[in-house]
Amino acid sequence: MIDLILGALRRANRAIALLLGVALVLTVLCILSDVILRKLGSGSLGGSDEISGYVMAAVASWGLACALIERAHVRIDVIRLRLARPAQMAMDLFAMIVTNGVVLLIAWHCWPVLGKTLERGSRANTALETPLWIPQGIWFAGWLWFALTATLLSLVGIALLRAARADEFDTTLGIGSEVPE
Amino acid sequence: MIWTTAIALLGLMALSIPVGIVLFLLGIGVGEFYSAFPLLRGMGQVIWSSSASSTLIAIPLFVLLGEILVRGGVAERTYAALDRWLSWLPGGLVHANIATATMFSATSGSSVATAATVATVAMPQAERLNYDPRLFSGAIAAGGTLGILIPPSINLIVYGFLTETSIPRLFSAGLIPGLLMALAFIAVTAAICWWRPKLGGPSRGFSWNERARSLIQLVPIIILFTVVIGSIYAGWATPTESAAIGVAIAALIAITLGDGLGPRAMSEALHGTIRISAMIMLVVAGASFLNFAMTSAGLGRQLSAMIEGSGLSPFGTLLLVIALYLVLGFFIETLSLMVATIPIVVPIMAGLGYDKVWFGVLMIVLIEMALITPPVGLNLFVVQGARKSGSMNDVIMGVIPYVLVMLCMIAALVALPGLALWLPSIL
Repeated sequence: MIDLILGALRRANRAIALLLGVALVLTVLCILSDVILRKLGSGSLGGSDEISGYVMAAVASWGLACALIERAHVRIDVIRLRLARPAQMAMDLFAMIVTNGVVLLIAWHCWPVLGKTLERGSRANTALETPLWIPQGIWFAGWLWFALTATLLSLVGIALLRAARADEFDTTLGIGSEVPE
Repeated sequence: MIWTTAIALLGLMALSIPVGIVLFLLGIGVGEFYSAFPLLRGMGQVIWSSSASSTLIAIPLFVLLGEILVRGGVAERTYAALDRWLSWLPGGLVHANIATATMFSATSGSSVATAATVATVAMPQAERLNYDPRLFSGAIAAGGTLGILIPPSINLIVYGFLTETSIPRLFSAGLIPGLLMALAFIAVTAAICWWRPKLGGPSRGFSWNERARSLIQLVPIIILFTVVIGSIYAGWATPTESAAIGVAIAALIAITLGDGLGPRAMSEALHGTIRISAMIMLVVAGASFLNFAMTSAGLGRQLSAMIEGSGLSPFGTLLLVIALYLVLGFFIETLSLMVATIPIVVPIMAGLGYDKVWFGVLMIVLIEMALITPPVGLNLFVVQGARKSGSMNDVIMGVIPYVLVMLCMIAALVALPGLALWLPSIL
């Protein structure tokens, strides 16, 4: 059960990261065509500025879970390094649960942004007049996904501890190696 | 409020809670205890407007640029080419380490990835040619730090975003100090190896013919750097647009001169980009919220009261701030150190009349030092990780001369603010 959840989370987040990466590449193409058209003097498509902002919002919310599961979020381990293993594991679990709580709170408070947009049918104040619920919906869903991933990871962490699977606990909630693999 | 926040910041970070989360916690705390109205209600809006930003997307784009060059195998070839050009100096390959790290960190923003790549390529040579492992690995760790000062720099983008300072001005301000530091690194290495030839490896000469042939590897990287930076300075591209152009050129270089960009390399590059960018963005979002909370809770008033009450002259405060960064830099990793302190320190310095562009450059040099000072120096770990033998102390000993160069640079920036401010003033 634990392995099933963990495996599914890892695969899903990897797929999401790739999808975000592809969105980033498309944004690059969009910006490039904008620059080239402008240089040629034939006016520009416009809007690449706005769209790249929306892509950034998506990367900055959906990517968070991916960074979490790969232990990429920065943690300071000056004290942790000097402790015995059980104390380290307690710190890891504590950090995970605090993270989980804060992320749930953030996701909760992100909803009103989308809620108000839906209520008023707001559009961006730009040439594209983008209905804001689309980018904000994607962004909010990313925070929900981050909250879900964090919650599942906390539960997996507790389960791994109860099953006394210390090594797997380390590779799931410990501090990631600084050297890229 | 300022002291409580600062102490809570250090305490929570020491508990090894992720830094971005700590910043959110502090923002929530400031809102609960010091603000007259509930700030939590503004949280969603702050996060949305700080992340839906066409300025910040320059960050993932510059990360992607670097990832493409590294995964596309361009780094190895650049290293070999720089070896041809620089190995006649006393110290031999050590100069190639510094120059490769400088070039790569100048085109991407990721100093850790740069240090990792150069270390992997260079270490086997060190053993083969019998270099002193200390100076050799120290040069890689130190060279890698230059990436956050020489534009395009992700850290300068984050600084500009959080302090509302012009990013092109910051970029031009970082250029001269960054290049001076790279030259100083090379000069110091040459001096050390001239004085103690045993520390460097053999000085090796290459024929001009060989050098000329290696140019094909170097020129494209120089063009890439020139286009990315030149288009910003010339005013026909925003930093975001120049990053997009840079990604396209990097892909071309990797395909034509590197190992190419197969689906595997490309997916690795994209995956790495998202992971690094998301890590940065959590910290940036947390800092934006803390910024918002502290401003709403009346930070400005408190700061001016504190500055008036402290009796310190502006110069005294500056020295205190520098000392603070030197100490914190031992324990906190770069981006976190920068982002966590900006909401408190930059308003103080700006209030005292210091130029925000100049202070940004000074802060970056201070933070570069944090990358290579133990016990928490990211680049030290990276280089040690690539060495796979010997002790961490070798790397730490090796960076000492370069840390001294950085200290001189800090003194020079304080004595001659023009080092940073001259270029932005004429552009």
